Amino acid sequence: MPLLENGRLVEDFWTTIGDDAPLPPTGPVIVPLERLEDGLARPAGEKLGVALPPDAEVAVLRAALPRLALVGVTFPTFRDGRAFSQARALREHLDFAGEIRVTGRPLPDQYEFLLRCGASTVQLPDGADPAVWARAHERFTTAYQPSVRDERAEGFGLRRFLA
Amino acid sequence: MSAETLATPDTAPVGHYAYDQVDRAFLHDRVEQFRDQVARRLSGALSEDEFKPLRLMNGLYLQLHAYMLRVAIPYGILDSRQMRELAHIARTYDRDYGHFTTRQNIQFNWIRLEDTPDILARLAAVDMHAIQTSGNCIRNVTCDQFAGAAVDELLDPRVHAEILRQWSTLHPEFSFLPRKFKIAISGSPHDRVAARFHDIGLVAKPGRHGTVFDVFVGGGMGRTPIVGVHLRDNLPEEDLLAYLEAMVRVYNEYGRRDNIYKARIKILVQALGAEAYREKVDAEFAAMDRARYRLPPETVAAIRARFGTPVLDAPSDAADRLAEARRADAAFDRWVRTNTHPHRAAGYISAVISLKPDGGIPGDATSAQLDTIADLAERFSFGEIRISHMQNVVLGHVRQDQLHALWRELGGAGLASANIGLIGDIIACPGLDYCSLANARSIPIAQKLSARFANPALQERIGDLQIKISGCINACGHHHAGHIGILGVDKKGEEFFQLTLGGSAGNDAAIGQILGPALPEDATVDAIAHLVDAYLVHRTEGERFLDTYRRLGAALFKDAVYALA
Amino acid sequence: MDVRNNRRQAGGSSVVTANRLLDGRIVWLAEDGAWSGRIDAARIFSNDGIEAVIDATARRQQADGVVGVYGVQISDDSTTPVPVTVRERIRAFGPTVHPEFATLTEVPSDVR
Ligand code: SF4
Repeated sequence: MPLLENGRLVEDFWTTIGDDAPLPPTGPVIVPLERLEDGLARPAGEKLGVALPPDAEVAVLRAALPRLALVGVTFPTFRDGRAFSQARALREHLDFAGEIRVTGRPLPDQYEFLLRCGASTVQLPDGADPAVWARAHERFTTAYQPSVRDERAEGFGLRRFLA
Repeated sequence: MSAETLATPDTAPVGHYAYDQVDRAFLHDRVEQFRDQVARRLSGALSEDEFKPLRLMNGLYLQLHAYMLRVAIPYGILDSRQMRELAHIARTYDRDYGHFTTRQNIQFNWIRLEDTPDILARLAAVDMHAIQTSGNCIRNVTCDQFAGAAVDELLDPRVHAEILRQWSTLHPEFSFLPRKFKIAISGSPHDRVAARFHDIGLVAKPGRHGTVFDVFVGGGMGRTPIVGVHLRDNLPEEDLLAYLEAMVRVYNEYGRRDNIYKARIKILVQALGAEAYREKVDAEFAAMDRARYRLPPETVAAIRARFGTPVLDAPSDAADRLAEARRADAAFDRWVRTNTHPHRAAGYISAVISLKPDGGIPGDATSAQLDTIADLAERFSFGEIRISHMQNVVLGHVRQDQLHALWRELGGAGLASANIGLIGDIIACPGLDYCSLANARSIPIAQKLSARFANPALQERIGDLQIKISGCINACGHHHAGHIGILGVDKKGEEFFQLTLGGSAGNDAAIGQILGPALPEDATVDAIAHLVDAYLVHRTEGERFLDTYRRLGAALFKDAVYALA
Repeated sequence: MDVRNNRRQAGGSSVVTANRLLDGRIVWLAEDGAWSGRIDAARIFSNDGIEAVIDATARRQQADGVVGVYGVQISDDSTTPVPVTVRERIRAFGPTVHPEFATLTEVPSDVR
């Protein structure tokens, strides 16, 4: 599936491992949360990501986080906005600096929100038009509240410049 | 930039924030975003399911007969120029009416989807929008209709309401919450915003080191009416946003998403218990980057500086001249008794324009009336107009010596009903005549009641009595908080009405109790007449309906309604 | 969809309704498969086959420019269709509080 970063399509180096699929010993893989231990058991240099279900608290990753290069958050439907809070908590509470990848069924109209909550990449849902996503990223130049991206303040008050 | 370098623009509207070019560019972008979303919907790129939350976040509903557009009136304040634009929209795109809601917004009932981007562009041209008037996000923040004017006020809460408006606008984390989220803010110890019936209710007051807030959470009406929990006192102003971020984040994470009827924050607070909810909020508050969300005094000052303030300089004999006019004109005197509120400044008064004419539709105004209100606001109240959650209009700063002239002008426009706070001042949601969720019609009952109790002397004799009508359990008509509440229910496709007694939205917040079996429409109107009769017989001197009910209990009133049947 | 919308008895007949996408106005499925703003132009279906009609109609709603297709039970004893519920009667004939907006007598909605 196409992967979007900063409004542009980029190559995806990661392999997502299902619940039962065998875990390759090397190469970047994203494991389900229940298989985090298996993932951590691989050699220390191998890149590891974990897919967080929407009802998980990000704090469960606290111990493993130094070993993680990617955390996946997901939208079962675009209406379920828990991933926004998870992404923000990863950045703000756990100081996670790796990739936060969005999966599931978000809408392009949520793209800017995702970025401002700390998401890095979006795995586009089937049939998504990347141009519509790119446009959504350029739509606004101002926001009205601080975010984890620490955008530059815009004049007085709460406003922020969106680069 | 410091506040000092930002002088109030000469044209700053009295009572609300003055937009600058950055705010205008933002609104323009928002309108173009919606234009694009509409185009994607029409092309089929967006399904109705996907489009719906996007249009809702721009206030556009698909109702029974057409689309309905709900336009935000932030903290209930408008200027005359904005009111004239609303009149223009009513005339041009609707069927000449606007309907003011219990959340201080205005709704147009006959809107076309294809016109909506243009309507939003017209609104943007006068610094208005429909952002977040619907959807599972933080809705328009409501405020005391006498803010900045009332003699009992400790603090004008509108600057903080504006800060909350800005903070919640397209909030990246809180635009897809489990359910809608409503915040009310007041600066008076007399609760006129129903703070205890909101997802979050804030009461601002002066603290030892600046403004502080008392915080209520988890109140609400709807299917499960709950009086809000007192979460904390004396929240310092600089922590206001951080603390709200923590409160809403806990809700976003733990609020139920599996059942729409259990998704409001009130259910979460009840399920966790107030203590556990508070602990989670405090933990979040402690863990977050507080500096990032700090609301510094300079920011407050900078936003305050963009509010126009009225120059209040009434002549010293203003009060005497009002007294004289009242002595000379009994009808005017009656209107002053019911439709005004004391002002903090000598020689001024706040005037309430009733949108509840005898037999009329509560909260409705024609485009001509909207224009008239705009004109009168310019002549008598610095161009500032307020909408109350009782679906009336307030001119906040009227010189007492000019009040009689204002009243005469209102009379000429059919806007001088003297019934504020009385039985004729009925709250009613649109109900089944317009609303696709309704079980029963609200408006015809309101019309029949207001016609039945039209006699102004009778209304005054009955005194303080709030009737509130909702067409379904969503309770937009706040029936749970009515001294007499009326709820429309559906029985095999026919309309019935359930009566509740003893509700109140004020400091003595209470949820009305169901009186007995639901009744058909005409029997409901008769039942209310019987309730009023029973009250008049049993009340003690000066006792309100609500207090008589509280003193004597439901049995007496139950008999009055059902024993006759 | 709201259960009230689909209150239908086993027997009897129904008409099919939706709202137009462009302006939101109520429409009724007419004889020729077109949509009419007037319920008196609606085609009457026996409730036996109504689910199939609704399904087929819902599948072409994007092409037809309508949303929210559903069936409305009508009373048996009238020549022109009259819905059995208050809600659908208000949809069919207009809000009761503004006689001038009555659907069957008003000026066509596209005249503005
Ligand atoms: S209370 Fe029910 S009928 Fe009334 S406006 Fe709200 S949703 Fe509609």
